[in-house]
Amino acid sequence: MKVGDDQSDSPSWRKAYGLALSLFAVEVVLLYLFTVRFS
Amino acid sequence: MNRLDYLVLIATILAIPLYGLWRTRGSASLGQYLRGDASIRWATIGLSVLATQAGPITFLSMPGQAYESGIGFIQNYFGQPLALIVVCAVFVPIYQRLKVYTAYQYLGERFDQKTQLLGAFLFLVQRGIAAGITIYAPAIVLSALLGWRLNLTIWLAGGLVIVYTVAGGTKIVSITQRYQMIVILVGMAIAFAVAVYRLAPDLSFGHTLSVAGKMGKLEAVDFSVDPHKRYTFWSGLIGGFFLALSYFGADQSQVQRYLAGGSLKESRLGLLFNAAVKVPMQFFILLLGAIVFMFYQFEKPPIYFNQPAYQRAVESGYGPQLEALQTQFEDVFAQKRAAIRAVSNASSNERDEAINKLRDVETRARDLRDRTRGVLVQAGVDPKSKESDYVFITFILQQMPHGLVGLLIAVILCATMSATSAILNALGSTTAIDFYRPLIRPEASDHHYVVAAQVLTAAWGLIAIGVASFASLVENLLEAGNILGSVFYGSILGLFLAGFFIRRVTGTAVFFAALLAQALVFLLFATTNIGYLWYNLIGCAAVLVLAPVLQETLFRGTQASAGV
Repeated sequence: MKVGDDQSDSPSWRKAYGLALSLFAVEVVLLYLFTVRFS
Repeated sequence: MNRLDYLVLIATILAIPLYGLWRTRGSASLGQYLRGDASIRWATIGLSVLATQAGPITFLSMPGQAYESGIGFIQNYFGQPLALIVVCAVFVPIYQRLKVYTAYQYLGERFDQKTQLLGAFLFLVQRGIAAGITIYAPAIVLSALLGWRLNLTIWLAGGLVIVYTVAGGTKIVSITQRYQMIVILVGMAIAFAVAVYRLAPDLSFGHTLSVAGKMGKLEAVDFSVDPHKRYTFWSGLIGGFFLALSYFGADQSQVQRYLAGGSLKESRLGLLFNAAVKVPMQFFILLLGAIVFMFYQFEKPPIYFNQPAYQRAVESGYGPQLEALQTQFEDVFAQKRAAIRAVSNASSNERDEAINKLRDVETRARDLRDRTRGVLVQAGVDPKSKESDYVFITFILQQMPHGLVGLLIAVILCATMSATSAILNALGSTTAIDFYRPLIRPEASDHHYVVAAQVLTAAWGLIAIGVASFASLVENLLEAGNILGSVFYGSILGLFLAGFFIRRVTGTAVFFAALLAQALVFLLFATTNIGYLWYNLIGCAAVLVLAPVLQETLFRGTQASAGV
């Protein structure tokens, strides 16, 4: 089995991945602001 | 530690395995023993994955790391959320569809048996050593500070884990990890609150953080592109991505956690839970270390945190030298306290000068610590151990109220047990499924393989205890695990990515590509000093480049697999 053989990724999962990515981006921005504020 | 602490400690570390044994009583099929059952939901999977990765080193060494070098280590986790998304989208559906017990079965299905055995072998070597470090790391520190015998501590942590992991397999690992992780999170949250509460009352929390920042402890993000810097945004994002992709996608100790339960949805939710909470969790653990650092700017710390080693040096006749350093240290400490107050009270014009003075005094304090360490090296006592590993545990033992001390020692032992049980479970399963079943007893009953997995799990447990008992002191416990992983993970990941994404390569080409890639990483490790996270990228890229090249040159005539 290789990538592409499995078609089980529904749009709702892609939304979940997008949400996780956005959350991570927010976390990095907050850490950057924390660094700027306290360094 | 008093009786209350011991009561809390013993009750906590025994209650969870006993509950797990009760929940998993009765016989299990091979599938249940290696993959758990449908009662395991995403929350259990999520906490189990979190507990497997964290381990005792996270809670013992990481606050000390922040105390020593600041919170920049957080960047090592930046690649992880992205990697977890890739694992959810690519790896998990394939594993679930194939109903594999181990990740390396996929390599056998996609390529051939020798590639499966190579992947499994690299995993066993790396994790077999890592299991020993996982047990040894807390044992060496706890035995030194609490006066427990080292071997007794190793057997206490390791022996209990072997018993329940052998008895209950994957399901008991998941159940116990869930509750152990809850104890760990609650314990660390309380420790954080107490540390903040114990800070100097005349300095607000915001001011305290400002001073910590001026002393270089709060630089969470560094966009430098210098490859020799260990922790930068880029090495964390790129190198950390490949480390995490390999760890979560191809390390059986994690694969077995999220395949427990057998549902694609629950596996993915458990992993996405980790993608969301990992960076904030690590941030708070590191911040706790920075807060402990600030606490010790007002409360005099020991000049050297590994006090048992310090005492041994005094007893060896180095007392006068150490006493002289101690006197200077007390003087510098008083100056530093005054300098911190000067920084927080300074007007904007005076601030730069006050900060420079504070940094100067801090450098002198550091120099005195280094000289103390030099005396300890001369005295021949504990010359290799990293002092920072003793910082947080010293803070716990000296500054926390009774009861909480017991709980926090339990946190460290729970973390040891949860990480070790996952590793032993994976080592036993991999040896049974990837080596024993195909090579020694191909046609046997399910029950036979369950017993074989139990015996092999116990054997790996004893090997881990052996490694822990005979391990010489590892210079930095936190780094040792990551470096060991980074050296092997790149080529293992390359095997899987070649299988997923390069349709035309055969097992033979990818097998030799992985061997060459591993040799390249060993060579770089021995001859260069590049940041270790880059080995993940280099090893993986080498497999992905070499496999098609070998396929088109040396192995041109061999038939590419059609896949499964």
